[in-house]
Amino acid sequence: MLAFIIRRFAGLVVVLFSITVIVFLLFFATPGIDPSARLAGRNPSPETVAAVKHEFGLDRPLPVRYGLMMKRLFISRDLVSYGNQALKVVPAITSAAPVTFSLVLGAAVLWVVMSIAMGLLAVTFKGTVVDPLLMIVALIGISMPVFWLGEVLNLITQDRLHDTFLFSWVPPLGYTPFTENPWQWFLHLIIPWITLSVLYIGFYARVLRANLLDIQNEDYVRTARAKGLPPRRVLLKHMLRNSMITFVSLFGLDFGFLVGGGALLTEVVFGLPGVGRLTFQALQQLDLPVIMATVIYGAFFISIMSALVDIVYARLDPRIRPS
Amino acid sequence: MTSKRRWTWLLSVLALAAGFSLMVAAYGVAANRTKAAPKQAHKSVGTLKAVLDTIDYLDPQQAYTGQSWWAMWNVWETLLTYRHVDGPGGYKLVPGLAASLPSISANGKLYKFKLRKGLKYSNGQAIRASDFEFAIKRGFLATGQGVGFYTDIAGAKAFAAHPTAGGDISGITANNAKRTITIKMAKPRGDFLTILALLFAAPVPAGTSPAIHNGNIPASGPYRIVGYDPNRGFTMLRNRFFKPTKNIPRGNPNRVEVSLIGDANTATQRVVSGSADYSNAAIPPDRIASAKNRGHLILRKTANTYYFWMNVNVAPFNKLKVRQAVNYAIDRKALQTLVWGGLGQPTQNVLPPTYPSYKKLTLYSHNVAKARQMITAAGAKGANVTVWTREVSDALTAAQYYVSVLNSIGLDAKLTTLPRATYYTTIGKRDTKAQTGWARWLEDYPHPLDWFDVLLNGNRIVDQDNNNYAYYSNKKINSSIESLKKAPVLTDAVNTRWAAVERSIMKDAPWAPWSNRVFPEYFTKKMGCIHIQLLYGIDWTRLCRK
Amino acid sequence: MAEFAYEPEPEPEARLAPGESAREISGRSPWRIAGRRLVRDRIALAALALFLLIVVVSFLAPVYANRIAHTDPFDSHISATTTVDGKEVDVIQQGGGELGLGEVPIGPTWQANYFLGADNQGRDVAARVLYGGRASLAIGIGSAVICCLIALVLALLAGFFRGWLDATLSRVMDLIWAFPVYLLAISIATVLLTTPEGINFGFVQIEASSLWVPTLIIALVYIPYVFRPVRGQVLSVREKEYVDASISQGASNLRLMFAEILPNVISTVIVMLPLMIATTVLTESALSFLSIGVQPPQASWGTVIEDGQGLLYTRPWVAIAPGIMIVLTVLSLNVLGDGVRDALDPRAKVRVKE
Repeated sequence: MLAFIIRRFAGLVVVLFSITVIVFLLFFATPGIDPSARLAGRNPSPETVAAVKHEFGLDRPLPVRYGLMMKRLFISRDLVSYGNQALKVVPAITSAAPVTFSLVLGAAVLWVVMSIAMGLLAVTFKGTVVDPLLMIVALIGISMPVFWLGEVLNLITQDRLHDTFLFSWVPPLGYTPFTENPWQWFLHLIIPWITLSVLYIGFYARVLRANLLDIQNEDYVRTARAKGLPPRRVLLKHMLRNSMITFVSLFGLDFGFLVGGGALLTEVVFGLPGVGRLTFQALQQLDLPVIMATVIYGAFFISIMSALVDIVYARLDPRIRPS
Repeated sequence: MTSKRRWTWLLSVLALAAGFSLMVAAYGVAANRTKAAPKQAHKSVGTLKAVLDTIDYLDPQQAYTGQSWWAMWNVWETLLTYRHVDGPGGYKLVPGLAASLPSISANGKLYKFKLRKGLKYSNGQAIRASDFEFAIKRGFLATGQGVGFYTDIAGAKAFAAHPTAGGDISGITANNAKRTITIKMAKPRGDFLTILALLFAAPVPAGTSPAIHNGNIPASGPYRIVGYDPNRGFTMLRNRFFKPTKNIPRGNPNRVEVSLIGDANTATQRVVSGSADYSNAAIPPDRIASAKNRGHLILRKTANTYYFWMNVNVAPFNKLKVRQAVNYAIDRKALQTLVWGGLGQPTQNVLPPTYPSYKKLTLYSHNVAKARQMITAAGAKGANVTVWTREVSDALTAAQYYVSVLNSIGLDAKLTTLPRATYYTTIGKRDTKAQTGWARWLEDYPHPLDWFDVLLNGNRIVDQDNNNYAYYSNKKINSSIESLKKAPVLTDAVNTRWAAVERSIMKDAPWAPWSNRVFPEYFTKKMGCIHIQLLYGIDWTRLCRK
Repeated sequence: MAEFAYEPEPEPEARLAPGESAREISGRSPWRIAGRRLVRDRIALAALALFLLIVVVSFLAPVYANRIAHTDPFDSHISATTTVDGKEVDVIQQGGGELGLGEVPIGPTWQANYFLGADNQGRDVAARVLYGGRASLAIGIGSAVICCLIALVLALLAGFFRGWLDATLSRVMDLIWAFPVYLLAISIATVLLTTPEGINFGFVQIEASSLWVPTLIIALVYIPYVFRPVRGQVLSVREKEYVDASISQGASNLRLMFAEILPNVISTVIVMLPLMIATTVLTESALSFLSIGVQPPQASWGTVIEDGQGLLYTRPWVAIAPGIMIVLTVLSLNVLGDGVRDALDPRAKVRVKE
């Protein structure tokens, strides 16, 4: 087991290294990426440009440049953005991450609770009109582009029905840190949470329902029923518990993906200054240091969550452990 | 280079050099309206909530955008400053930290200042005469964006070549005990006083590191900045160590909460919903009419020109007829509505109308049929054209219209959109051979040279970072510009000569200018005492509630 | 924000779908069985009909634009007028007041011209939504097909030859997998868009504004999502007796791959295809919404939503209409995907989401 974990993490390091190299090469092949003209200020003399180039190591061969950037990112942690000289990359990410975490955590709570409720309801009422109805709702949720849903909700809550009792509580777009005002933090995030979770509610409800239906004929479920346990108890105690293995592993991957920057569209639509939006802005500005840092950050979360899921799986089911 | 195109309208600081005639023009709609407002005593507005578009830095030696200066003007004082009054009086230089205007030697090379007594930063530390030199040195150490203005100080070039914290600019000497500052120039410079009034020259406490400090350098003005967060905003609080003078008032608001909001819709919504008192962000065209009804909208003119350039070296724009046809084909009035919802004036000139050299041109009246004939006559029908623009909403909107105009007169146009960061570098490279595209120019200082010499003088075409996107080079025009460069004062005769140059250029039609943009200042209906300071825009220190 | 995974049964073979008797499927080819099942699945058929309807309507966009609305959806019509209820009105209406400030494009007329109103360039939104559908569907279908084909070939090679080839390909897939899908797509798109002269593959030249750019980018980022399950299946089919038998008979590698293994894994790809298209349509709209997909003045559903974002509070239909089209398309594909899966492989678990 330990060997497996070590191997899995060694693989993770290799993946992260390769990703940084790919991103670095991808962007250094781009015209206009050289920020020296931008950084050198007003009507710079060629000497000033050269000095700036030297300061950022832009006059060095590519591998050295890569090394310098990594050193300033991980060791001295003073890597500075190409677009805004006051923007230090590491603090920029550490201040954006709580926003993304707030968004994703809240949405995750919402989608786990809602999808389990929907899945259980659908299975309980299988054969009635409730089941297909719930599943259609779930499918519609899966089919909506998240940015469009966000815009429509904005239209309703910020403008059309903003002056009615329904949505007069909705604050203007933006973010308030939890440490500053927990209540405002909560209010600002309610609509984004709903927007982000709709897709996952639909998806997880469908997966859970299929899973529950799959195992309802398994021996242990039938045994439990034969023992005369009430159906609700069988459903919650035996079936749901068993389905949770798939559920949790899916959750791990999705959570890593979203925390790693996958919530970008939601952040853009609601003006939340999270990691996804930071990455997108950096890409628009071709701000390589920020891009590097956010991509590493994102890949790290995705890889680590998938490694964790693998390990958990391997623990639960030794057959999966690769030879 | 890019800094040139920032919100440099505030750089009309050097307006003094250009004479007072332009001020009346730059004065704008609002000033007329508010001139009659009764004089306000120190009437507190409590907390003022303002919305700004993005800013660059809140560091006097670094900031170079109008939004930053709007706030910083009342946070860091310079030796000389501008008055808090409406109209042309706002261009008048008055003592700031200095006790009086300086004495200047007859040869214009020696400036002597004396600081006021008892000046303190917001941390209680005394403002010393030597802090001025420290600030100038700090600018060079940090390669701040304004250092180019100060290289004529004796010894500044030597310092700039090898800036070190312990180094010295030989031309600046200070006596802290006597509170005197002496500045020796390497060569005289007529606009030097206005340059000293730029925030780049604001003294900061000795020892402040050259790294960018966003807001956390102790203030010398009536307010200080706290809690800067690049994603959200910052707050300005009263500086309790500040003592008001005749020229620098205490200011009405006790507290100014500034939100930084890049999205125009959201910014406008803040004022409409009353969660902000004021916004200077753009207003989406479709919302202007309703915004006007739900708040108080004021338009402020600044010196800028938006234009489409046509590369005279590349077919089909190497033909005069084609370039003229494009000028005939553009519906300039409709374009104002389209792009800024009418917050702009149609123009066919290179210069903005705020200039004394400006003489309105009406060479090309809107006539698509004529344009089509000209294209056919020039044999350019069906010619392929790539229109270049950058990934910014207004530029994209204007360029899409431009593409369809070119198509409507018989050319075969398509659009190429580049990211903000690379647009000017790419079209400014000769090898790109970009045919035509979107551009704008915002003044650095109010002088025709800032336009014709930088943008249309053929002698200044370079292979990289070129500003003459049309690659326009006309020997006669070039020599006219060179000779006008030597004219020191914009007399009527000089102005007439500039107007003639402009007319000949526009007959050659390397550009199709289309707009002088006007900027919205948007208040809730509760706000009163709205004053415009010509250089810095809305004077928030004087705002009050009705 | 996309995740796509498919867990096929390791040994696909004929199984009974619910409500099907053994007699009905015995002795028939799996394809015919699947076809029969699909035809019986009314919901899936309805979804297919809806999808085809959207495709047909979108590809009839020129007919709407030229014959009905009489407008060019790619040109600005900022000073044009149109007739509503017999009255001539401006397409872009100037704001009122002494200054004549502001502009508002005409709203939905619910008539032939400007049915859904105009965008801020005075272009007919309905026509742009239809043309946008053409682009979105072309990119969605194109990238899904390209992605599935490439992934299938790679999976066949990796699963068949195993060894270093498999190891290399799998590592590359792991790499792509570790990128957040959108971030990878956005990175590549950004880089390509700064290269306006386009990319030169030697034999073909692709311009930065070409629809091929988003198509290929989207195809690339989803390859691992198809590659992984298919490779697993190839690996298991490779171990089957009949494959061994063919090998012992001296069958060539090519023959083994295409005649023996491919038919056994193709159903997996077919099951995934509708769901892949649903995913790629959503991805295209997201990229275009972030203005790095289809480039204006061309239209796709995503670009029309982006145009509508600026008009959200005054002319919400500009943003809402293309969104509804996306929802209908993706919904129909998801339902169809369920149907195809049930028909081909009743017990497999397919999941797709965006």
